[in-house]
Amino acid sequence: MKLLTKINRNYLVLLIVALTALAAGGFLVLKAVISSEARENLLSRELLIRKQIIDRGTVPDFYPLVEVKRLDQPSDQTPVFKKVIIWDELENEPEPFLEYSSTITVNGQDYFIRLRQSVLETKDLALIVSVWLLVLLLLVFAASYGISRKMNRSLWQDFENNLKRIEQFDLIANRGILLSPSPIEEFDRLNRVLNTMSRRIAEDYHALKEFTENASHEIQTPLSIALLQLDEMLQLDLSEDLFIKIHSVIQALKRLSSLNQSLILLTKIENRQFVSSNSLSITAIIEQKIAEFAPLFDAKNLTIQLEQNAEFFYSIHESLAFILVSNLLSNATNHNIPQGIIKINIDASGFTISNTGNETFLTNETIFQRFIKGETGSNGLGLAIVKKICDTHNLDIRYEKTSLHCFHIQQKIKPQNTTGSAADHFAPAP
Amino acid sequence: MKVLIVEDEKNLRKILADFLHREGYICETAADFHEAEAKLADYPYDILLLDLGLPGGSGMDLIPDIKESHPEAGIVIISAKNSLDDKISGLDLGADDYLTKPFPLPELNSRIKALLRRRQFGGMNELSFREIMLNTDSRSVSIHGIVVPFTPKEYDLLLYFMVNINRVLTKETIAEHLWEDNIDLADNFDFIYTHLNNIRRKIKSADGNDYIKTVYGLGYKFTDL
Repeated sequence: MKLLTKINRNYLVLLIVALTALAAGGFLVLKAVISSEARENLLSRELLIRKQIIDRGTVPDFYPLVEVKRLDQPSDQTPVFKKVIIWDELENEPEPFLEYSSTITVNGQDYFIRLRQSVLETKDLALIVSVWLLVLLLLVFAASYGISRKMNRSLWQDFENNLKRIEQFDLIANRGILLSPSPIEEFDRLNRVLNTMSRRIAEDYHALKEFTENASHEIQTPLSIALLQLDEMLQLDLSEDLFIKIHSVIQALKRLSSLNQSLILLTKIENRQFVSSNSLSITAIIEQKIAEFAPLFDAKNLTIQLEQNAEFFYSIHESLAFILVSNLLSNATNHNIPQGIIKINIDASGFTISNTGNETFLTNETIFQRFIKGETGSNGLGLAIVKKICDTHNLDIRYEKTSLHCFHIQQKIKPQNTTGSAADHFAPAP
Repeated sequence: MKVLIVEDEKNLRKILADFLHREGYICETAADFHEAEAKLADYPYDILLLDLGLPGGSGMDLIPDIKESHPEAGIVIISAKNSLDDKISGLDLGADDYLTKPFPLPELNSRIKALLRRRQFGGMNELSFREIMLNTDSRSVSIHGIVVPFTPKEYDLLLYFMVNINRVLTKETIAEHLWEDNIDLADNFDFIYTHLNNIRRKIKSADGNDYIKTVYGLGYKFTDL
């Protein structure tokens, strides 16, 4: 709900409550005034009648307003007011009257007097008041709505402009926010806070990004030196025992290096440092990778069954597409049995890679966790990277154990452009 | 051949220089951006090994200048960053190759030789060792002058041995060379063994000698010693 709508709605509610209360009060006051006016009127008429009897000796009689009767016997009737309903023949409907009865004595003669005054019907009164209330309500509300709309255009203009700029804020594209100052103190304060905050976020983000890159650099360099020196040592005339030991140190260091690279890759994917390119043919990438893996498949005598129902296109950074397919194929190869099968099904919205393998107890939840290893010598990050790529790219990945181990990769139905696929977001890492 | 090694890490610089010196190159080194700039201004080089993260600036910024002042020089980026974006921008700027640290020295050697072959001299398209001759243009192998059919992978493997003669190459180094991409190779290198056996068989059937020696079951060495 827009702020203005919300304000107007609250305003309307407040107006309704206030005007209803006012109207109820007004109704009661009005009713009391009318009633006391009627009483006064009747009492003064009584005086007039008394005067007429004294002056002229005639007894007036105007039914239903005035009834005067000569009494043979004295009565001790005290003056009383009451409400009565009398059929009005003219309007053909019952009318409310205020009735005043009393006895008066003029020149020793007692008279019974009954005076009536037509009063406003309660429901008529209520109707008048509520119609008036409604008119008032509409008028006030229309005026306030018009005024606030007009004020919105001018007062909220800066706010709207700045809101648009905030919406375009993009860390990856290094697009900061620069908000224009506002003459309104609150907005200006908000702008200052946002300016500072966005600058801090951008600084932190870049520091983190730089750190991951530097961490890679700092760790890979000493590893390089160690590996190169060890490889030089292998060139010496070594005993078998020493050769095997140095070789195993090299292997350990290589694993450390690949672990480091994998962890940095995971962080980079998490930080969304890979900007999606235009649509790539994942089918073509799978075909290319199958060709590259062919010797590995041959070594294990694996049969590849590729089934293409349609070509699968997806918007993803090229490196990540290669890593995704490569890691899945590595997994399907490394965990396969000799003479096994790798089945690949591709359709327009995803693909499935299934392989024969040992009976393992991995579930959909645990299989993608970091450092969950099978029996092979992999570092246990391959599938975690696959999962991370899927999670950040609106892809669903599901592991299923049928007679084969199946990995289903499916485009999610509702695309939410989380990483920004537009080409204008492209910014190479500095 | 004159090589300039631009690398800020002293140990790495020394290892690279020693290795390339042994391989017959004349080596110069530069430890930072400005030293590299100065050396490039004073001397001509055939090959540049360029680290990207340098004190005083990024090696990337040196590339345009090198392309202008040394248009003949081949540039090999050696970076710790395994980043496709860096690779693309480096190659776009005019670098010839991109190696991610850590890399084995035989790999560097093979890349430099491939670069020199691509870049220069018609006579360099032939590489021979005793009775074996490789033609790098037609990617063919002849033994005693007779062409023997090799598969592309077998050819690549033989070429890798022939640019790294007398050097122990571990199975992992060979696998990395043949599949430079980050295939998670686990610990199964049987496929290399298959390729090697095919190469040995083909050379033998053409009356050639087996120069591929196995080293303690973990590595191989191409040698006639």
